[in-house]
Amino acid sequence: MLSVKKNTYATFKVINGDIQLKLGVFGILFLLLVGILSPILAPLDPYHYGQDILNGLGVNGHLLGTNHLGQDVFSMIIYGVRTSLMVAVISALISAVLGILIGGIAGYFGGKLDLIVSECINAFMMVPTFFLILLVIALFDNSITNVMIVIGLTTWPSNAKLIRAQALSLRERTFVKSAITMGESKTQILFKYIIPNGIFPVLANTTIGMSNAILTEAGLSFLGLGDPNVISWGQMIFMGKQYITSAWWIATFAGVAIVLTVTVFYLLGDGLNHVLNPKHSNGKGGE
Amino acid sequence: MKKYVTRRVFMGLLTIFVVFTINFIIIRLAPGDPISTIMGKDNDDPILRTALEEKYGFDKPMITQYAIYLKNALTGDLGISIIYNKEVMAMITERIVPTLLLVLTAAILAVIIGTLMGMYAAKNEGSKIDVIFSGAAYIFNSMPAFWLGLILIIIFSSVLGLLPSYGMINTRDAHTGFDYILDVIVHMVLPVCTLVLVEIPIYFRIAKSSILQVTNEDFIVTLRATGMSERKIFNKYILRNAILPTITIFGISLAYLITGVALIETVFAWPGTGSLMLTAINQRDYPTLMGIYLIMSISVAVVMVLVDIVYATFDPRIRF
Repeated sequence: MLSVKKNTYATFKVINGDIQLKLGVFGILFLLLVGILSPILAPLDPYHYGQDILNGLGVNGHLLGTNHLGQDVFSMIIYGVRTSLMVAVISALISAVLGILIGGIAGYFGGKLDLIVSECINAFMMVPTFFLILLVIALFDNSITNVMIVIGLTTWPSNAKLIRAQALSLRERTFVKSAITMGESKTQILFKYIIPNGIFPVLANTTIGMSNAILTEAGLSFLGLGDPNVISWGQMIFMGKQYITSAWWIATFAGVAIVLTVTVFYLLGDGLNHVLNPKHSNGKGGE
Repeated sequence: MKKYVTRRVFMGLLTIFVVFTINFIIIRLAPGDPISTIMGKDNDDPILRTALEEKYGFDKPMITQYAIYLKNALTGDLGISIIYNKEVMAMITERIVPTLLLVLTAAILAVIIGTLMGMYAAKNEGSKIDVIFSGAAYIFNSMPAFWLGLILIIIFSSVLGLLPSYGMINTRDAHTGFDYILDVIVHMVLPVCTLVLVEIPIYFRIAKSSILQVTNEDFIVTLRATGMSERKIFNKYILRNAILPTITIFGISLAYLITGVALIETVFAWPGTGSLMLTAINQRDYPTLMGIYLIMSISVAVVMVLVDIVYATFDPRIRF
């Protein structure tokens, strides 16, 4: 019990010690809260097409105005948190799992397999991802599920590269060698020792991946390839673009929401990098 | 050096090969048969269908089809646009110059401004300006470029009325000679500013962190101990070592710009490959879309390989 308390305190101290991590953690908690409580926080149903069309700020009780279909912009932004968080988490999860498996196997088993896989990773890293995602979404189906899967399937190489480097050094360590002597199977070693010990750089990279996923979804929506059945900030900008001179608020506030959310994920990623990787500590206090 | 270059070129070729393969697989997996994909949804001319089937060899086994696809693409035959009925290759070459003009101007400006800002922030670490720069870097790094473009349009075109918000030239009065160049520059200001603003943070952060890293290394301490002037240490030793990561980042972000500029071109109605792509998406013009993807991927691969070679000439440690 005491050790749990001590651990919690230690974690808290680490979080408190790094300004980026602190801002990031608070930001994520705030976003999660908004996402969970959106039905309470939003003053109106964002899917409701009202009669107040293109109302300005504060007109008829619409805090941030309405769009050309009479939807309340403030409520749309509140509900947009859900879409963004969903895209971020699910696509980053797919990318992390794929990356960890492919990179872990390549790094741990080594040899010819590693050579082939790592050359493939390098080649994949040079492929322009946004364009590939765009092409697949345009050709197939632009549902939000598809968008998340495709983002996940195209962004794993950077994760794979990180975990591969970890696996390469971990497999030479004594505790892994003793596990081999103890007769544990290769699969067991991979999942019990290599992956849990090498996962930290992937964690930090995954939060950066989450912010990129949000930006990618916004970019796709802006090109008109978003899912028309969900409310997303990218689509609000896409729709607001036509009214940019007459109703600037539609696109502007959706963009502010994107900037804030992505910044939170970047801060979290940088903070995690500082804490988990002493080399990154900018020479301050990490000596 | 020769061995290194060969390896990098091989890597680039492998990437292009991967892209070809992905492209081939995507056409096969797309809803409907590939011929319909190539022909378009509304076009069902039996003569064209047989001609295409023969051309791409759909009666032959998969491997042969793949070989035919590769051979066609390698000879510059990317198919014919189903909307404009023009060769895709010709359409892309027509549009690539405005895109490159935008991309290269922005990339060069961003690398210069960003690196200078990073150098200043690293020299005055912890100062007010450093804090402001670093904070702004976070914000601009998180900004969707297309949104920033719209905001710049609101401010500079809509409210202040200073700059044109769309196109590359003023179509109302056709300029010639020097006036034409001036007209293009005026139209370039906003799109280039947008790209530069979102690219600066990348160079700022890499320059700042690598200068700080090199400054903490032992050989710099030794040089300080010898009593060499700070200015000489910075210019001759720190900068030369710290600038290397910028070269790599330049390659990566140039590659990102080549594809990412499409969104900006859409915002500013810039007549480049990006807006060609947008019409291709909206009209489901698959051959054009595929063609742009191939050309983009090849340019990215070429840029990456070139950057690696440049890097190796600057940093002899890499070559061995």
